[in-house]
Amino acid sequence: MPELQVYDSAVPLRPVISQLQAIYQNRGLLRLLIARDLTVRYKRSVIGVWWSLLNPLFTTAVMFYVFNTVFKSRLPNGEAFLPYLLSGVLLMTLFNQGMTMGADAVASGAGVLTKVYVRPEIFAASAAISSAINFFIGLIPMTVVLLISGETPTIKFPLVFIVVGCMVMFAMGLALMLAIAYINFDDSRSLITIFLMALQYMTPVFYPISVLGPHTRRVILLNPLTSYLQVFRDVFGGNAQATFHEWLMMGGSALVVFALGLYVFMKQWPKVVAKL
Amino acid sequence: MTLSNEKIVEVSDVSLAYRRTRHRVSSLKQTAIDTIKRRMAYEQFFALNGVSFDIARGETVSIIGRNGAGKSTMLKVVARVLPPTSGRVIVRGHVAPMIELGAGFNPELTAAENIMLYGTLLGRTPKQMQARIEAIADWAGLSEHLDIPLRAYSSGMTARLAFATATDVTPDLLLIDEILSVGDEDFREKSAARTIEMMNSGAAVLLVSHDLEAVKSMSSRAIYLEHGKPKAFGTPTDVIDQYLGDVHH
Repeated sequence: MPELQVYDSAVPLRPVISQLQAIYQNRGLLRLLIARDLTVRYKRSVIGVWWSLLNPLFTTAVMFYVFNTVFKSRLPNGEAFLPYLLSGVLLMTLFNQGMTMGADAVASGAGVLTKVYVRPEIFAASAAISSAINFFIGLIPMTVVLLISGETPTIKFPLVFIVVGCMVMFAMGLALMLAIAYINFDDSRSLITIFLMALQYMTPVFYPISVLGPHTRRVILLNPLTSYLQVFRDVFGGNAQATFHEWLMMGGSALVVFALGLYVFMKQWPKVVAKL
Repeated sequence: MTLSNEKIVEVSDVSLAYRRTRHRVSSLKQTAIDTIKRRMAYEQFFALNGVSFDIARGETVSIIGRNGAGKSTMLKVVARVLPPTSGRVIVRGHVAPMIELGAGFNPELTAAENIMLYGTLLGRTPKQMQARIEAIADWAGLSEHLDIPLRAYSSGMTARLAFATATDVTPDLLLIDEILSVGDEDFREKSAARTIEMMNSGAAVLLVSHDLEAVKSMSSRAIYLEHGKPKAFGTPTDVIDQYLGDVHH
């Protein structure tokens, strides 16, 4: 037994720091939750792990079929279209999954969170990390596509871990704020779906930035997700050139959104937990 | 160190209030309409209002009251699940919450995996749980079904597994929402006996029950809650008398 734990409701939690400590102290639980997320998703399906890739691969196939005629399989800068497209779809899948699964895990966690004491942030972290593991599995077909297109993964590819780390933080921060919205407002889910669709089109998943007009381009570049995509394409397949500004945007948005999400969640959770 | 009068739980002037919407559903649409019309959409609702008590090691304190009086809410505040709006709660040591057992059970995971996950959710380490899986399954009489997904279990088997996992501890504080007896006749006796054994093991116990006989025989003090407010506090006999007086009115 560890030293006597004392719960004193008068001792305030320190935002971000206490939450990160709680996640670290419960890393055993976090590991079990990640294992649960992955097991539950794959156990029932015959094709197992590949099930999680069916959605992004199918989406990519359809988009490729439709847009291939527009972009003539080579982008204006000469990059192959298929790896450009697949990398976009994979990273957006990580974002969508990590965020919505995390928000759902917290918002519909009444069965657990109102029965036993456990920091809900751990559930959001587990959703984001298990989505990241799915993403890494997706890099296998991604590599195949890259090789078929006559390109090779760049020497910079270990930097993918930085992109994924940033995306996990970004998605988790949003998931925590989204969970609060889900609990407070029953109709927020449908609004979020619309918002996510808009965001999907505002991110250069299936079109190159160079085809955009100067005004649109400025808007698209303000979208933080664009920077994640550009950096990922740069470091993995050399399918884009990421600027320093985009690296900064990616890292900055990850830190800000993560810290903001934790902060908002810590302040709001005590007000909404009774509603669960 | 383990003085007999050591306070495991100290609850002082605890209130729990939350904003409740006037409408049955809370939607962004409704909130926007209410904001524009400058209509107060919320009312303050006190689930608990100025509750104080303490529990020493080895002592059992019971909470009684009508449905919706705040009994289970009080239990959840001590379980740390609900943070109090005002007042202070101090809890020392390991807490075993026996509140709706089986939280986090997943039908797709095997019984062994569920024991691991549930025990860890209850605040034990995966390492501790790993070492106890066999013993827990054995006590529940489910050793031969450890590698089967929980969805193949009957509800009785699931309840046995949950009970065995939740009670496989020596807690400093035991939180009981009705004394459970689960499963078939044999297991019912076995589980009731284990609960009593845990209560007598020197742990502090907070018991919520409608079974007034059990409250009378098991607890040293009782609290009678009405609409979240403590209406009586003292020896179980006195408190129960007052409660029954109110009920029969």
